[in-house]
Amino acid sequence: MAHPVQLGLQDATSPIMEELIAFHDHALMIVCLISFLVLYVLSSVLMTKLTNTNITDAQEMETIWTILPAIILILIALPSLRILYLTDEINNPSFTIKSIGHQWYWTYEYTDYGGLIFNSYMLPPLFLNPGDLRLLEVDNRVVLPIEAPVRMMITSQDVLHSWTIPTLGLKTDAVPGRLNQTTFTAMRPGVYYGQCSEICGANHSFMPIVAELIPLKIFEMGPVFTL
Amino acid sequence: AFKLLGFLDVENTPCARDSILYGSLGSVVAGFGHFLFTSRIKRSCDVGVGGFILVTLGCWFHCRYNYAKQRIRERIAREEIKKKILYEGTHLDPERKHNSNSSN
Repeated sequence: MAHPVQLGLQDATSPIMEELIAFHDHALMIVCLISFLVLYVLSSVLMTKLTNTNITDAQEMETIWTILPAIILILIALPSLRILYLTDEINNPSFTIKSIGHQWYWTYEYTDYGGLIFNSYMLPPLFLNPGDLRLLEVDNRVVLPIEAPVRMMITSQDVLHSWTIPTLGLKTDAVPGRLNQTTFTAMRPGVYYGQCSEICGANHSFMPIVAELIPLKIFEMGPVFTL
Repeated sequence: AFKLLGFLDVENTPCARDSILYGSLGSVVAGFGHFLFTSRIKRSCDVGVGGFILVTLGCWFHCRYNYAKQRIRERIAREEIKKKILYEGTHLDPERKHNSNSSN
């Protein structure tokens, strides 16, 4: 989960998120250097005593400042497109879970090996135990296996929502009347938090997502099906 | 954590610290060297800034390329170790297949 005053991305729990973090670092370094250059040019222009009111053209400079940004954009676009297509790959998921957004809770359906359906409501602050996270804990977490490709089918029953878990690099809109698909493979066990990412009414900030990722062997023993 | 220009986390971003340090060194060398040859202060500052950007970018791309190759090698090694542990002693053991191929 995020820590207070966090500016950067959360640590990666899936290979896709690792790639996203690497791309973010790459783009940020380029942006940082461009900002540095612009700051320098700005201060240079502000402090110069040289003024020429008769400049008519500067062909070479215009050529450079057209071609160089184009090259920079290509350097940013190529890794970006690579990751875009990586996120769309369907890698033979071994498990499918449906997530349905409502105002203002999530419903999860495990229908591969039975008919388990349950709602996931945020725990109000009065119901929290010591050490629990305010506005993030839920009554029923979505339990998933690690090191196995999982497919999430996401939709909504009323208005737009968005199912998000930042550490897995997942953000998928829940659109009423449409089924969106996302797949992921988690690498580490743990409890990971996310929050609804599409404005959906008064309690939009109060319908979190909590994924409990457990080893595949324990998942197969069926703890999720004992509800 | 120290953030360059307020947003670049130099400490925790792989290759960032080395790139910025090499860039700073390149900037000083280029700027000072230009000044020694030409005695033009303003132009030397421009050369220094240009040198900083070019050297930082060059080190950054070189380091990130090697870092990406290393990550791929690490991932392959992790998968192979897992496979080895899982299949050791069975007919799917990769080492067994390799040994039988080399003995043939």
